[in-house]
Amino acid sequence: MERKLNAELWDKMHYLFRDFNDRMVHVELHYDFEIDIEALKTVLICFFEKAPVLHSSFHDNHISPCWNVKPYTIEDVLTVAYPEDLEAAVNDFLTQYIPPDSDLQMKVAVFYKDGGSTLCIVENHMCMDGGDFKYFMKALCQNYSAYVGQGVSPIELREGSRSYEAVYEDFSKTEQRMARNLYKNVCAKDEHKFPLTPDSIRDRAFIAKRKWSADTFLRIHAAGKKLGATVNDMLLAAYFYSLYELAHYDPSDSVTISCAIDLRRHIKDVSDEGLTNHTAFMQCNIPERGRDIFETLRYAVQSSQKFKHDKFMGLYGLPLLKLGYSILPHAASEEIIKIGYSNPLLAMSNIGILEADKLALDGHEPTDGFMTGAVKYKPYVLLSVTSLRKALTLSMCVRGNEEDRATVERFFDLMEHSIELLTGEPVQ
Amino acid sequence: MEKNYIDYIESALQGAPDKNGTLYRYKRRVLDQMTARAAEVTHAGLRDDKVLTDLLISEFPDLSGGYARFCAEDQKERHKKLVNKVMLFGTPALAILLLVLFLAVSFLTDAWRLTWLIFADGFLLWAVFLLGVGVARLTAMRRLMHPIARLLLALAVMCADTAVFLLVLMFTGLSAAWVIFPAGVVGILLADAVYAQATRQKLRIINYLVYIPVAATMLYVVLGGLRLLPWSPGWLLVPLAVLVDLILVIAAVSNNAKYKYDPEVEQAWNGN
Repeated sequence: MERKLNAELWDKMHYLFRDFNDRMVHVELHYDFEIDIEALKTVLICFFEKAPVLHSSFHDNHISPCWNVKPYTIEDVLTVAYPEDLEAAVNDFLTQYIPPDSDLQMKVAVFYKDGGSTLCIVENHMCMDGGDFKYFMKALCQNYSAYVGQGVSPIELREGSRSYEAVYEDFSKTEQRMARNLYKNVCAKDEHKFPLTPDSIRDRAFIAKRKWSADTFLRIHAAGKKLGATVNDMLLAAYFYSLYELAHYDPSDSVTISCAIDLRRHIKDVSDEGLTNHTAFMQCNIPERGRDIFETLRYAVQSSQKFKHDKFMGLYGLPLLKLGYSILPHAASEEIIKIGYSNPLLAMSNIGILEADKLALDGHEPTDGFMTGAVKYKPYVLLSVTSLRKALTLSMCVRGNEEDRATVERFFDLMEHSIELLTGEPVQ
Repeated sequence: MEKNYIDYIESALQGAPDKNGTLYRYKRRVLDQMTARAAEVTHAGLRDDKVLTDLLISEFPDLSGGYARFCAEDQKERHKKLVNKVMLFGTPALAILLLVLFLAVSFLTDAWRLTWLIFADGFLLWAVFLLGVGVARLTAMRRLMHPIARLLLALAVMCADTAVFLLVLMFTGLSAAWVIFPAGVVGILLADAVYAQATRQKLRIINYLVYIPVAATMLYVVLGGLRLLPWSPGWLLVPLAVLVDLILVIAAVSNNAKYKYDPEVEQAWNGN
């Protein structure tokens, strides 16, 4: 008999986001050696067995959707190629779309070129978010190394509940009740858009990225310390400031950027939790651009501080969503939630550090790499940030045309200029 | 390959108590599951036997705990089968028993006018038992089935109520015996409220708010019908029930207010 898995609250929510993005999460890691494909296959099969949602098909039956676990072969999951043009091969692979009703929710590719390997993975956001994907990548690399090095079976992957309710478990009874009573619609209501061209059926998904050196990261960190801001605040301020210039917003306009927050901050021990989504958004708002970028930074810091002092940071919309999905059949719930939900037009996700030592495969640390979120459909945009060995990678996945790509590149130039204003030194 | 699984199962369940071959059945079930999973994972492409064994063992980490649960389930299953047998054979057996009882009592006492009650009440109480089993089984299922369980519970109360009505009417000839039916409605509402509380139904307070005035109205009719309370000012029971509703709402709102999170108030307190 076919095994079924619960469709959790966030699975359904990300399914609802199908109108706004392609729901794929991407990672690209470069190594200076040739990955042992047979070993990688073994690790991947073990991980797919430990996390059956990765080989399941999402079944939207309009009443109560679920995941149906499907049989698969590792050849369906893993692609191995020796491309002439590595960049094009990586780009083609990363910009693919995995439909939720397909039998696999994750695709892996290894591209060999000049004695090195590039490991690329694309997965459906409905299965897990950036936080757990980062954990998945670390576990994959550590299990691979232990298997190749010491012959240890690669079965060390977290298993457990995928329910959103884990965020409440470490609260006291009173706090739990408070958190479960936070019926609040926390959607962004800002109408400011990223200046992309109108939709067209000729649009294609692309990933634009810009890399900043470790020196730049250290300078941002040092300048932030002096100004009483975190690296995230500095990037957020640069994002705001660049947007005003790029999109010609009125400097007196108030602008909101939704910032992804990892709800695992509320869970003391995640070791018995399954791979899932625990991400919410906080609305960082500035009342105006400010006279200079330092004033923009002050506004950004004030906005993020307000959230940091909140004990239930990120938990506000959950009870309302839960109620929305419990009282009616799924199809009707979706319609009701769509009425109250407005997807943020401008968003940022600081995925954080990709630890090179933990992403080492058999002692070989990645030479380069980044992780990024879903390909957004116009007019929505998401700026993703990751760092590897303190080198920052900014990326934006857009379904657009060459003009949109040029706009995103111009945005990155403006971001560099803003950082230059904040740190006093040019970005490298 | 299978030998590794057998060794693992045997060593994990060493010294486990056996009752009526349960241990063998559990071991066989686990082995079948492990073999089936091994076939699936091998089909996926796993070629390393050691990894396959380790992977499958990690999927069955607590066989002793699993066996304890299997025994409990087995016990439950036996009990369920017994109840099924009682239900299946009980109905004809009860019919024969009631017929014998009816004829014996009727011939001995010659009270043919009353003895038919043995049949009527006997079957009504049997219906209460059957409905009770239905309520218990549906309650053990998903919450989706609970409304049906509540419906069966209401029917069970009504059957019991009818049995009492027939007894009272036939033995006492009380003209006000009809009050047992509105009293039955009170019984249904009470049973449902207890069920909602015991099974922690969501938004059960809405049930209580509806039930209280309806139950009070029925109680007014019962007490009035029995002349225990004059019709006027007995009607005051109804506004009194509305008042109880109001108090209940205020209590619920003030109780919920205790759990309202206000970050600004919290920060002010922390600041102090």
